[in-house]
Amino acid sequence: MIQRISYALRETLANFRRNVTLSVAAVITSAVSLLLVGTTFLIQRSFDNLLVQWKGDVGMIVFVRPDVQPDALAFIEQTLKSQPNLIDVSKLKYLDKSASYEEAKRVFAGDPTTLSLLSVDTVPTQFKVVPKTTDPELVRNLSTQFRGLPGVSGVALAEDEFEVISTLSGFVRTVTIGMSLVLLAVAVILIWNTIRTAIFARRREIEVMKLVGATDWFIRVPFILEGLVQGVLGAIVSCGGLWALNSAWTNGISKFKSGTGVTSLVVPDGYANGVMISLLVIGALAGGIGSGVASSKFLDV
Amino acid sequence: MIRLENVSKMYGNETLAVRDASFDVAKGDFVFLVGPSGSGKSTLLRLINRQERPERGSVYVAGRDINELPNSQIPYLRRTMGNVFQDYKLLPNKTVFENVAFALEVIGKPKHVIGQQVPAVLDLVGLAGKEDRFPHQLSGGEQQRVSIARAFVNRPMILLADEPTGNLDPATGEGIMGLLEAINQMGTTVVMATHDHRVVNQMRRRVIQLDRGVIVRDQERGVYE
Repeated sequence: MIQRISYALRETLANFRRNVTLSVAAVITSAVSLLLVGTTFLIQRSFDNLLVQWKGDVGMIVFVRPDVQPDALAFIEQTLKSQPNLIDVSKLKYLDKSASYEEAKRVFAGDPTTLSLLSVDTVPTQFKVVPKTTDPELVRNLSTQFRGLPGVSGVALAEDEFEVISTLSGFVRTVTIGMSLVLLAVAVILIWNTIRTAIFARRREIEVMKLVGATDWFIRVPFILEGLVQGVLGAIVSCGGLWALNSAWTNGISKFKSGTGVTSLVVPDGYANGVMISLLVIGALAGGIGSGVASSKFLDV
Repeated sequence: MIRLENVSKMYGNETLAVRDASFDVAKGDFVFLVGPSGSGKSTLLRLINRQERPERGSVYVAGRDINELPNSQIPYLRRTMGNVFQDYKLLPNKTVFENVAFALEVIGKPKHVIGQQVPAVLDLVGLAGKEDRFPHQLSGGEQQRVSIARAFVNRPMILLADEPTGNLDPATGEGIMGLLEAINQMGTTVVMATHDHRVVNQMRRRVIQLDRGVIVRDQERGVYE
């Protein structure tokens, strides 16, 4: 048994050496495609983070004019509290001028022009509203109702933000998944072709092996192993690339202040590791399938 | 040991390579298949080691209909046969020793068995001392001896030889025939396809003559006509 394994490993290595250019091309293609697959996962996860944060947080923000009269402000609050079926009154929060300005400084951290137009006196104060209902239509109706109240400068719905983000994330997902599938197919075909070439290069040897009674599996295993190794090597390279990308991403994001929503784009290490393991599995599968198909097709008696 | 019953083999849709061939080869026999090129000699050998399957008829080896065997059993059938070819089919990047050892290695024989059997068979074919040569460093006769060593190293019941003297001068061919005869005397059944008159006439063994795929003569102690 040990002898057979060592035979298969030796042959795999010899094949790889004999066919360096093609093998390297197959490895690079699978690395690039798997990197794209991994990036798709991470981008998706980033968007999800953002969406999740919105979802768990505030559903509607009622902005109040900075020059609002106290009784108008009290009326707005009263009206909000008069909707206990639609609004989670206990979580209703009012940010006064200084608090609102503090938040604005963070929200517009990347946007100094807008920030410069604001001051403690000119910033709109706001009610953070956590809706009780899950029906977006009801929340939307509610927002229309509040827009008409005196003293209200505007109402922002988290739902609108969701829509932009989820449309964007859906688009990015479609494009990256499409591209990575195409590249993955190219990788499988390249591995398939590498193995076909390897089989052709060794056809005399294979003929002799068959005549002296080597089993089909004995002949096949080194070739399948070769494809598997190419797929896994590609996956390892892509994992390295993904790690570098994610570190750079995390690094870049850490420069943003917290609470801006951007920080939620950081992908936790545990998730990234999970993605890398999946990449290894996908790489092994791609290599195994490519070489398995080639070796059963071209080794037939 | 080998029995063919009404075997026909077609190539393409029309050409009959072998037509209704029947014969029986006993254990330990030495049989020549003779006839001009294209008369079906090689096809008969390929039917016996199951590189080809007949359209009609049955081929029995050691009592088993080999065309009834599942594909997974064919390697084990082939381990009972050695094959020798006109063009030797040696692997150019392997030494004499490695070429012969290869046949044992790929059927999973352990190293110590290879270490014993390979030198023994190289000694038998007269190549002791040339283990580390590469095929291109050997004469045609020596290369054919390596090929015979490879075919015989696993002590097969049957040796199939397709024009083994075809590329050799008469004296060298004679040496090869002496070797095949020695192997036959050790109990291995030998079936040899040839159109070498001299060899057949000298050996005076059983001759099966083919003409355009049909067996036209089957004679003990025959000559080439």
